[in-house]
Amino acid sequence: MKCGYDKEQLTRFLHGELSAEEQAGVETHLTECNECRREWEGLRAMWGMLEEVDTPEPSADAQVRFDAMLDSYKDSVRSGDRRTALWWRLRELFRGYPAFALGYSLLLVVAGLGFGYWFHRPAAVAAAGSDKQELAALTSQVGEMREMIMKTLLQNPSASERMRGVSYTSEIKTVNKDVVGALLSTLNNDPNINVRLMTLEALTHYANNPLVREGLVQSILQQDSPLLQTALAEVMLHLQEKRAIHPLKKLLQQKDLNEMVRTRIQETIFRLS
Amino acid sequence: MNTLSDNALMLKVRSGDLDKMGLLFQRYHRPLYGFLFHMTQQREVSEDMMQNVFYRMLRSRHTFTGEGEFRTWMYHLARNVVKDHFKQTRRRGSHHEISDYEERLPAGIAADEQVERKLEIKALERALGNLSPENREVLVLSRFQELKYAEIAEVLEISVGAVKVRVHRAMHQLKEVYWHLETQNK
Repeated sequence: MKCGYDKEQLTRFLHGELSAEEQAGVETHLTECNECRREWEGLRAMWGMLEEVDTPEPSADAQVRFDAMLDSYKDSVRSGDRRTALWWRLRELFRGYPAFALGYSLLLVVAGLGFGYWFHRPAAVAAAGSDKQELAALTSQVGEMREMIMKTLLQNPSASERMRGVSYTSEIKTVNKDVVGALLSTLNNDPNINVRLMTLEALTHYANNPLVREGLVQSILQQDSPLLQTALAEVMLHLQEKRAIHPLKKLLQQKDLNEMVRTRIQETIFRLS
Repeated sequence: MNTLSDNALMLKVRSGDLDKMGLLFQRYHRPLYGFLFHMTQQREVSEDMMQNVFYRMLRSRHTFTGEGEFRTWMYHLARNVVKDHFKQTRRRGSHHEISDYEERLPAGIAADEQVERKLEIKALERALGNLSPENREVLVLSRFQELKYAEIAEVLEISVGAVKVRVHRAMHQLKEVYWHLETQNK
């Protein structure tokens, strides 16, 4: 005689996958049906034996191998990061500006020609120090390139692109008159307040430059935004620039000056004098 | 002692603290090795595969969301490593190294109950090795890794209902293969 009981229930019973109700049902059935009980006993015995099957331990050098793998993986991640960061910056730089790409390519060709010439020139002709001159020339060329990129970005109609231009000044080690002029003009004339604030921050890095200082002092009366007025006052205080007192006092005479700005400026004048 | 949960550790690994994988290794390399060994029944191969699983966990750490349990995610990756291994050996023709065990057993004194039992268990292990990989893995995950059906379903990416059917079928296949091996020996 074949019992039509759902045998799947027995497996689930064995694995503890039944609800309390279902379990009670199976247990009752097992007391009544010999066929199912035999089947159940067989399954249980086999499951018990399976537990006794040996599971070997991993070898002792597993940990060492893992550590080595982890180390080399960390190295690869680190160098990968550096590579992608550089690549990303290059792409950002050239995005939408084929002229830069062309400019850099030309620069590389010039550099290649320069190095080629330098390596192959006849020794007798080689004047002492000429390689230094060439290197200096190349360095200055790269510097000019950066300046050009920055100035072009500052002309861009998009505010975020102009900000990118401003942030580019951090790449330029020593600023010349042109760069200072471009930045000051942005500080005084840019329609976007965020661009102006960022420019102010960039300029404070070059506060040792007398041109920059002069420009900042003069800019005080050019600003109509309370945010920039207070920011400039703060910079002046930080630089301890006494020449700022005069324009700041003038600013106080403006009738429509923001009240908060007024108190800040009074405070600045007090602390500067 | 570190009491962070597996998921918390793995999320740290995901966010770049790769050293935390070392703690997960300490917690899981034994059970993981057990899984790989029962799936392949080859020690050396399982050692390599274990390292491979940890490497894959590092490489695909971004796919760990923390929604499911770490160990189900780990077994899921381990299962893919096993699959790749079977694909390769099928191409090259598989070779088992399991049989050296029998030689170590004292032959001819099967009257000894303990030896008898050991032989039976060895036969069961061989039966397990003869199951299809699909059937073998559900039994290994359930018996040796002690995963519940719901967790197995997550590892295999199938429904719990499908797991029930597969486990039941696997139990039957195991019983049949084992019985077949036993009657062959006698």
